[in-house]
Amino acid sequence: MAITRIGNPAIADVRGVNFRNIIINGDMSISQRSTSASSITSSGYHALDRHRLAISSLGTWTISQSTDVPTGQGFGKSMKFDCTTADASPSAGDVMWVQHRIEGQNLQYLKKGTSSAEKTTLSFWVKSNKTGTYIAELEDTDNSRHIAKSYTISSSDTWEKKTITFDGDTTGTLTNDNNTSLESHLYLGAGTNYTSGTLATSWASNTDANRAVGQVNLADSTSNEWYVTGIQLEAGSQASDFELLPFDVNLKRCQRYFYTTYDVGTAPGTQSNDDVPQVFAPATNSYFGFIIYYSSPMRDAPTIVIYNPNTGATGSGTTDGNADKSMNTFKISEKMVHVAANNTSISSSASIKCHITASAEL
Amino acid sequence: MNRDFTSVTKFYDREGDFINYLVVENGITSQVPLKEGNTDYQAIQEWAKIEGNNIIDPGA
Repeated sequence: MAITRIGNPAIADVRGVNFRNIIINGDMSISQRSTSASSITSSGYHALDRHRLAISSLGTWTISQSTDVPTGQGFGKSMKFDCTTADASPSAGDVMWVQHRIEGQNLQYLKKGTSSAEKTTLSFWVKSNKTGTYIAELEDTDNSRHIAKSYTISSSDTWEKKTITFDGDTTGTLTNDNNTSLESHLYLGAGTNYTSGTLATSWASNTDANRAVGQVNLADSTSNEWYVTGIQLEAGSQASDFELLPFDVNLKRCQRYFYTTYDVGTAPGTQSNDDVPQVFAPATNSYFGFIIYYSSPMRDAPTIVIYNPNTGATGSGTTDGNADKSMNTFKISEKMVHVAANNTSISSSASIKCHITASAEL
Repeated sequence: MNRDFTSVTKFYDREGDFINYLVVENGITSQVPLKEGNTDYQAIQEWAKIEGNNIIDPGA
């Protein structure tokens, strides 16, 4: 039987058809930390996995996982930004963008920094009441270089697909390791420090003034909302159809960067004893601990937060008699963490338990 | 965009070895391993360079 190759020849020669999307959780299906985070004014991973907000003094936001999606495209979720405190007159240094950080070892096939450097194409669906010019940027953080292109949201409150192709960069190779080498940026607002130059439409050394020239200010009204889904960055000069992955595959890819013992759909800090890790501790011991293995090895040794399943407080666990016990970590690796209560005697034999989150985000 | 840690404290194990940082940020207590690839570890090093920020060392 003849085997027929499917997909886009422009990308198949570079990476193949599967796992061509460099962006993880581009369909916004995974949101382990929270499905909605409010009063956001600082940078970080607030809601949806792998999509980081970078912000400096530009309004207050609620970020949520939304079911508002483009019709007939196969998406179930989008990421929504809702402005709750406006900043209609940004200072020069105020700025805000959605950021996706990518490991260098996953990008070697782009051949950046060689004469064979590949073009890349960014595509996504976007919707906002705030029409006008927006900026998408790639930044090579290994070599402090960037390239930016503009796109236009033409119709208010209407899903539109945007496709942007970036040239390959023959300067600056990406380090072949597990740290950030490339970032994609979708700007939502920027002060003059980022808009006063000429947009860097060709690869060049980083110049802040050339990053977001022409960018509208999504923060200028509390009526403003911005939705995005189907973010795909791939090698080549054409956008292929979005690579929809099974939920479990998407979750597993996200868990390389963030893992939680809470059930899927339960935000860390929730009072919940469902599936809580625990160990039986004899009454005579004053030190007891146990090991929690993550679902798969993480990118690097992660930062651990210990949660009390009864109260949701951090830094403590509890016994099955509901006595709170201060808990710490005594070994953190890419595969497991040893959590323990130290110098804390218990009056009778009991189980001690805690939830954790482990973050090895870029 | 430096982080705004409430406190950063060295954490020692029972053998007296410095093994983690105990960090409080936005009311959440976390434990950061001494790994250069950990972005929170990187942020602590940058935070500690700022005048007035001090890593607490309770000793072993």
